[in-house]
Amino acid sequence: MKTLPFLIFGIAVLAQWAAPLSQIWTHEQVLANGTLIKLKCSAPDPYDPLRGRYLALRPSQSEAPVPAGGELKQGMQAYAVLTTGADGFATVSTLSLTPPVSGDYLRVKTGYVYNDKARIDWPFDRFYLNEKLAPEADKWFAENIRSAQGITAEVRVLKGRAVLADLSLDGKPFREILKARVK
Amino acid sequence: MNTSHQRWLLEQLPQWEREGLLTADAARTLRERNAVDDSQPGLAQIVMGALGALLIGTGLIAVIGYNWDDFSRPVRLLFAFLPLLLTQLFSFRVLQRGAASSAWVRETAALLQTLATGACIALVSQIYNLGGAWPDFLFGWFMLSLPLVWVLRSHAVAIFYLIAIAIWSVNQVGHGRPWFDSPLLYPLLLLGLLPYWPGWKNQAALSISVRWAMTISAIFGFCSVAVFVSARIGDSYGYDDQSFLWLWTLTAAAFVLFPLNRNGIEEPTRRKPQVVLGSLWLLGYGVAATFHDVSEDILSGALHALRLPWCCGLLTVLVVFVLLAAARRRWAVLAIASVALLPLLSCPFAQHKDGYDGTLLSWLATLHLAVIGITLIVLEFAGKKGAPRLGALLLSVLIIARMADSHFSLLAKGVAFIGVGVAFLAFNILMSRLLKQKQATLV
Repeated sequence: MKTLPFLIFGIAVLAQWAAPLSQIWTHEQVLANGTLIKLKCSAPDPYDPLRGRYLALRPSQSEAPVPAGGELKQGMQAYAVLTTGADGFATVSTLSLTPPVSGDYLRVKTGYVYNDKARIDWPFDRFYLNEKLAPEADKWFAENIRSAQGITAEVRVLKGRAVLADLSLDGKPFREILKARVK
Repeated sequence: MNTSHQRWLLEQLPQWEREGLLTADAARTLRERNAVDDSQPGLAQIVMGALGALLIGTGLIAVIGYNWDDFSRPVRLLFAFLPLLLTQLFSFRVLQRGAASSAWVRETAALLQTLATGACIALVSQIYNLGGAWPDFLFGWFMLSLPLVWVLRSHAVAIFYLIAIAIWSVNQVGHGRPWFDSPLLYPLLLLGLLPYWPGWKNQAALSISVRWAMTISAIFGFCSVAVFVSARIGDSYGYDDQSFLWLWTLTAAAFVLFPLNRNGIEEPTRRKPQVVLGSLWLLGYGVAATFHDVSEDILSGALHALRLPWCCGLLTVLVVFVLLAAARRRWAVLAIASVALLPLLSCPFAQHKDGYDGTLLSWLATLHLAVIGITLIVLEFAGKKGAPRLGALLLSVLIIARMADSHFSLLAKGVAFIGVGVAFLAFNILMSRLLKQKQATLV
């Protein structure tokens, strides 16, 4: 029995387990130990052929100030410093090339940079739903498009990493609202 | 002769021996020369195995896509890893049985494991609502599948890998990307597959389907590299199309001249897709270069491309390939590949203070293609291997092109077109008769 093919196969099997497991480990850490922040957002319903239906998350803040004299350019990795307002919602107060010493922050990619502002490419943009609930979400958005109601993204943040934990509306999980509408 | 022809021949031999058409020695020699390697899967086997695996894999992805949000996270993660584990065990068993496993089982195992890997990554990213672009997902998926091509010698997974790396490379064309996240990685990715490591030297020749997949993948991959390196630097975002068109042509020349061993050279051209597709591009480019306006653009693009390191690399590879092709006396492909170098020959004489004059290049291209066309015809009549119909077609296209950009009256052009058409048909009839005569002499 030749050893080399088995060795390569063993390494491949390990890698095939390690790749998703490392993702799980990182995201479980963030979910367990991260700070919970809330962001105002909207979320229409597109489709991914591999991963099914999801809500495309669009946080209402799309750009953030860049410090004067900064060397931030389009496509660069930056750190978004988060500040929580009196209403309990978080906003990005500034973008910097280095992580802040204290406080919560997110690792983001910068979009188009102009004047003293840069567009933010948020690290979370999908909330997966099953195919029964996703069309209901679309209906809900169509009915509430003119109202002041907004969806809240509940995000766990830890050392620059972020995991989208849930979507809520007036403190109730959005998924539960949709389930109630389907019934 | 392909495998199905060889199988047919081997089936006929006993009857021919019985009928006294062949001696036992002659039959043995034919059997030895046309031995069929049954460890290589037939097309039907690959298709059936791949189809089964694809249906199961796609079904798995669709089940995942449903999003079972009534189950807890650990249960859903179990859904992700269980199929992966089962397919890995199946592949291990196939690997353990070695040559005892039939080819289609090997193909099915490899493809199932590839799909289960993709499904697992997809489900994990669904459970944790991970964002990210699909090319990153694709990159991880094909890299994790590559070792299966090496150990299980799976043609289906090799084709998946070739398609995936081409799609990834085309998608990575963008301004300001670092080299390791750009199409510049494509040559390395292709090299990862090329010999179906390990034990490359002992492996049989690649099947025709893998050759076509490899050539088409390489076309997209190397062309995306050419576009990426031709990015304009400055205020305006864009690509220098004239430069990358010449880089594509140099790539086509490298395809045509790609070194082959003696067996590869003797194979019919239709089994060498790199030669077929490369030659088509080069001849088309050559005909385009015969037009004065186009040749000016080609010159400007070539001069700009010469400053790019990728172009220097391509030219170095071409020089090596040219030397190897000359050593193997591959004159026909050398003649066609030389079309790519015509802009270099005319560059020193074409530059003037207002830009470039394409007159010399357009005449050079016309002359060069005419010589190729005539040579392809003459070779056939001189009793050597030629391509008279291709030669005649090339000459006809040249005449039509020259008439199209001439200042002759419409009547004169019409008469010339009819003349060329009649001559082409007459030549075709002549060649058919000659072929019949040749076959009659052989009988």
